[in-house]
Amino acid sequence: MSNDSPQKAILVVFAVALVCSVVVSVAAISLRPYQLAHQIFNRAQHIVKLADLMPTNAEALSKKDLMDIFLQLDARVIDIDAGKFAKNLNPVTFDQRKAAADPGRSVTIPAEHDVARLGRRSRFANVYLVWDGGQLKRIILPIHGQGMWSTIYGYIALQADLNTIAGVTFYEQGETPGLGTQIQLPDWQAKWQGRQLWDENGELRFRIATGRVAAESAAARYEVDALSGATVTASGITSLVHYWFGEYGFQPFLTYLREMPPSRADN
Amino acid sequence: MKMRDVLLDPLLNKNPITFQVLGICSALAITNSLLSALVMGLSVTAVLAFSNMSISLIRHHLPTSVRIIVQITIIASAVIVVDELLKAFLPETARILSVYVGLIVTNCIVLGRAETFAMQNPVGISVLDGIGNGLGFGLILMIVATIRELLGSGSLMGVSILPLVADNGWYVPNEMLLLPPSAFFIIGFLIWIIRSWKTEQVEQRDDSPIPNRTTEAG
Repeated sequence: MSNDSPQKAILVVFAVALVCSVVVSVAAISLRPYQLAHQIFNRAQHIVKLADLMPTNAEALSKKDLMDIFLQLDARVIDIDAGKFAKNLNPVTFDQRKAAADPGRSVTIPAEHDVARLGRRSRFANVYLVWDGGQLKRIILPIHGQGMWSTIYGYIALQADLNTIAGVTFYEQGETPGLGTQIQLPDWQAKWQGRQLWDENGELRFRIATGRVAAESAAARYEVDALSGATVTASGITSLVHYWFGEYGFQPFLTYLREMPPSRADN
Repeated sequence: MKMRDVLLDPLLNKNPITFQVLGICSALAITNSLLSALVMGLSVTAVLAFSNMSISLIRHHLPTSVRIIVQITIIASAVIVVDELLKAFLPETARILSVYVGLIVTNCIVLGRAETFAMQNPVGISVLDGIGNGLGFGLILMIVATIRELLGSGSLMGVSILPLVADNGWYVPNEMLLLPPSAFFIIGFLIWIIRSWKTEQVEQRDDSPIPNRTTEAG
């Protein structure tokens, strides 16, 4: 068969495609468990830190020890729109990211409310309750939204008053290295601690400022310093906080929690 | 053609970035940290060695009409495998490199070496050519990344070298160096320095016959 005959071309292309697809599939399937394990571990690490349960010798902590701490957290699934715990869903197996891609378990966000530019979101969310004896100490809520280049995923922890921020973390993002990626700096995330979401009139005031926040200003309770060179990323974060703590985000659930304080046992 | 030349020439004399002026895009994108540059250099080396080997193996059976498609299929497969490996075993770095690992497919060096070398040469020497070009690419990335990370973030491999003002040190980082255009300047200066020293690399002027080599950047 001559090298330039159409038959030969089809044969070669077909053979190469077949071999390559086998190689790629084998690699993807055989490496999947390692990738998943890492994703789960990475998320657990962030949540344990936010729950304030990271031991002081965090460097010496083995992966297994960390997962043990994580698994002891009171994990729950909530129905975001109904603003209630979704008791029929198993918090260990429920995956919010997967649900967001499943038409039966997700909703389209109407464009006029979609400030975080998500398009769709899961109807349910994984949340984590942190107890101090019988008292609720913190609640950890998942947040995500568009930054400059990427969807930023993180968690925000609220104190028992459900208004004061106890901590924030971003575990996945693809922002500009050195600029937008500053959202991962512990020093900057520490500035969120003690900031409040709503003022006395129930207005959502939290935002990333456009410069440094003067400590004595009236807005200081609600604002976090800007990150230089990361304007779009920062405004994306303000938007995603506004989406998730607005009436189409966690507001119904937080209202429910205020009226019906959860107890450790009703899980 | 000596084995040694095939392997070592691309490091300086025929460097893919400074001499062939290929693979500029990713050199701009990921050189703001030395670790990313190192991982990127090694990934490209692995992809180049594998793609050169496979393409050289089937070079006598490649119909001219579909050869580019076949080359790209092989390169893309190698890149996906490298990407999956990074995600499984170096997840932190993979997260930083994000899309740029996938974009190795469009790195002109890979297709350039497949077309100009692996299509005409036996397997062994093609693999060496791939490794040499990958290392030459990685070498320039490391040089650029060293300058950018040190002056842009005051650190190397993530370890603080120049204490930043933000951490109560004295160094005010130059944020320009964190942005891709700075790599463009640094690469420009590198080409200038290398060509002042090795004058045989200077391209002929446009009014003379076009030299027989690829000069597109990608």
